[in-house]
Amino acid sequence: MKQFLIFTVKTLVLLFLLLVVLDFLYTTVYLQSSNRGKIDYVYNSAARDYDVVILGSSRANNHFVAPIFAEKGLKTFNYGMSGGHLFEASLLLKLMVERKYKIKNVILETDLNLSNEKRDDGVSSRFLPFIHDSKTICDHFSKETDFNELYYVPFYRYVAFDSKIGFRELYKSARRETTIYLAHLGYYPLGNKKGNMKNNISNLKPLRNKYYEGIKQLCEENNINLVAVMTPMCSNTKGLNYFEKVQNLYPEIHNYEKVVEGDQYFSSCGHLNDTGARLFTSIIIKDFFNK
Amino acid sequence: MFFNSFSFAIFLPIVFVLYWFVFNKTKSTQNAVLIIASYYFYSCWDWRFLFLLVFSTFLDYYTGIRIEKAKTELGRKFWFWLSISVNLGFLGIFKYYNFFADSFSQLLNGFGLQTSPLLLNVILPVGISFYTFHGLSYVIDIYLKRIKAEYNFADYSLFVSYFPLLVAGPIERATHLLPQVKVKRSFDYQKAKEGIFQFIWGLVKKVVIADTCATYANAIFDNYESMNSLSLMLGAVYFAFQIYGDFSGYSDMALGMSKLFGIDLLRNFNYPYFSRDIAEFWRRWHISLSSWFKDYLYIPLGGSSGGTAMKVRNTFIIFLVSGFWHGANWTFIAWGFINALYFLPLLLLKRNRSNMETVSLYWDLNSVKVFFSIISTFAITCLAWIFFRVKSIAEAFEYIGRIFTNRIFESQYLENERYNYEIIILILAFIIVEWNSRTKVEPISGRYSYLKLTLCLAAIVALGTYSDYKEFIYFQF
Repeated sequence: MKQFLIFTVKTLVLLFLLLVVLDFLYTTVYLQSSNRGKIDYVYNSAARDYDVVILGSSRANNHFVAPIFAEKGLKTFNYGMSGGHLFEASLLLKLMVERKYKIKNVILETDLNLSNEKRDDGVSSRFLPFIHDSKTICDHFSKETDFNELYYVPFYRYVAFDSKIGFRELYKSARRETTIYLAHLGYYPLGNKKGNMKNNISNLKPLRNKYYEGIKQLCEENNINLVAVMTPMCSNTKGLNYFEKVQNLYPEIHNYEKVVEGDQYFSSCGHLNDTGARLFTSIIIKDFFNK
Repeated sequence: MFFNSFSFAIFLPIVFVLYWFVFNKTKSTQNAVLIIASYYFYSCWDWRFLFLLVFSTFLDYYTGIRIEKAKTELGRKFWFWLSISVNLGFLGIFKYYNFFADSFSQLLNGFGLQTSPLLLNVILPVGISFYTFHGLSYVIDIYLKRIKAEYNFADYSLFVSYFPLLVAGPIERATHLLPQVKVKRSFDYQKAKEGIFQFIWGLVKKVVIADTCATYANAIFDNYESMNSLSLMLGAVYFAFQIYGDFSGYSDMALGMSKLFGIDLLRNFNYPYFSRDIAEFWRRWHISLSSWFKDYLYIPLGGSSGGTAMKVRNTFIIFLVSGFWHGANWTFIAWGFINALYFLPLLLLKRNRSNMETVSLYWDLNSVKVFFSIISTFAITCLAWIFFRVKSIAEAFEYIGRIFTNRIFESQYLENERYNYEIIILILAFIIVEWNSRTKVEPISGRYSYLKLTLCLAAIVALGTYSDYKEFIYFQF
């Protein structure tokens, strides 16, 4: 039995050493990567200048056509991330400020994502390779229930989110393979889809969201003009009074939910297609930048 | 509580410590630890079905004794058939009732009689097919006077409910397992070490091979209408490795952890994809089930002793029942039928026992023949797996039809945002490892065992699929 216990302890030590070595290897590779997604594109960057930075979920990523801003002479990048919540948008802005980005305006899509303060695992996991390297990221995750595992257990984060930051992503990062996420200045155009467009958001309730409050404060401290907007939904949506509730809670958020109407402009009920996005972007540029 | 879950990683060491350090004085205390652990393990799935397990255990224990003690042949038969019918009755109600009711209703509808079947809203108790077969083999062996009835209820309970094999086998025999639980086990370092190696190799098969293949196989099978020929062929291959990695991985984990308690279980897989014909495949795949059907169905039906017609009939019966054992769906029956068709030429030509020795390859002409026989056996096995994986027989024919009619053999981007060919290297590496260790139980032991252990642990943590978790396939059977 003594022999077996020694063997077991040796195996466990071996496993622990492996976890430490793999953690170091993975983190080292991700610290060199800057062309896989918007998070590493910001994290591993030096200072950048922008007239407009766009933040939010897919309803920002697919709705604000960054190249149209550029055509109008506004240096812009769309940092909206599909599936992302305000948790991630807030952290991304913190990292930009930390890297001394000069940003004149932030357009923040602030509507459905106000209804929760949770993180989105798919998007937030992309920050995790840098959790030991960045105090900002570490602090941002510190209130999460699984923080101890994510921070203290070597390699845990790469196992828990293997589909996002596991071996496959590591391999592609090491080979410096590019993705579609950074094309078109970060804007991702959607095509037309067939089928009935309907959605039910009647159960959603806007919150006094701490991450939105954080973004407001950060913009104020850094002299960034914050433009918070609600973006369009298809007309066959139950519970559209949600947008009025948002307006009542935060009067400074501009309600642009109804500026593009008609199913021909939508790819799905919550997402404009490329034609709709171009129309919407033109309205936003005209109203806020007078161009 | 899955073998590859965090909760099991806590459960197993606790049981190990209690078993060897606290309650190791006698065989009875050792058995008590394993019985309590087994019932706790089972209750983690659904505690309500514990009563079924306890009832099934008590039924077979009691009827076994009554069969042995019966003074008349009529009495023996009565207790025997009581046990058989109650056991199969439970299996029938929980696993097959809805299938029969639905199929009967469809048949009547086919004759123009509109009926809506009375379906039961029941959950299939996990492991029912496995522990029922344990009990059946025990009762049949007593009835046929192959073994004596077990009078110690605790020992018998452990035989039925032993947690490493409770939910997905291997299907044990009383002649093999009962003698082991009737004696006090002493700790054997070499056996325990082998057990750890086998458990770790099983984990590699499950989380690295099976779950990774499942990601790709699911993306292909769930969207087969839009897949090209290459993707469909790869989908069948990926599923073949998914089900092999999943089930043989589970079996390796079960056998490995059982060795930690000093108990040997029956081997369930013996590198089946290196088989040179389908008969050899069935001697190497799910061995405990194949041998169960051979001993308790094929031989009682007359086996190979009758004429050709009887042999053919018995072969089809055993394959159809084997298919049906896997699940209450026509696809499983079709899968069994196809395997019977594959087996038929070998049976008629009396070549079903021609590949008994370990397969080897050299640089000669005969090895080329052997190589192609392995490839062709694997190919027809993959074709049959399509029936096992799809939801209906019509879907299987559409899938296969599309392989031959689409004729596009290009890389394809799947719905899971991966290319169809991405894991071919992983599968080839797995095949090479399996080929090199085909004369052993697992590849880690032997020379450079620490190096191989390190590589396996690295593969588990770095290459395993965790965020897209998949249950063990055979738990549903």
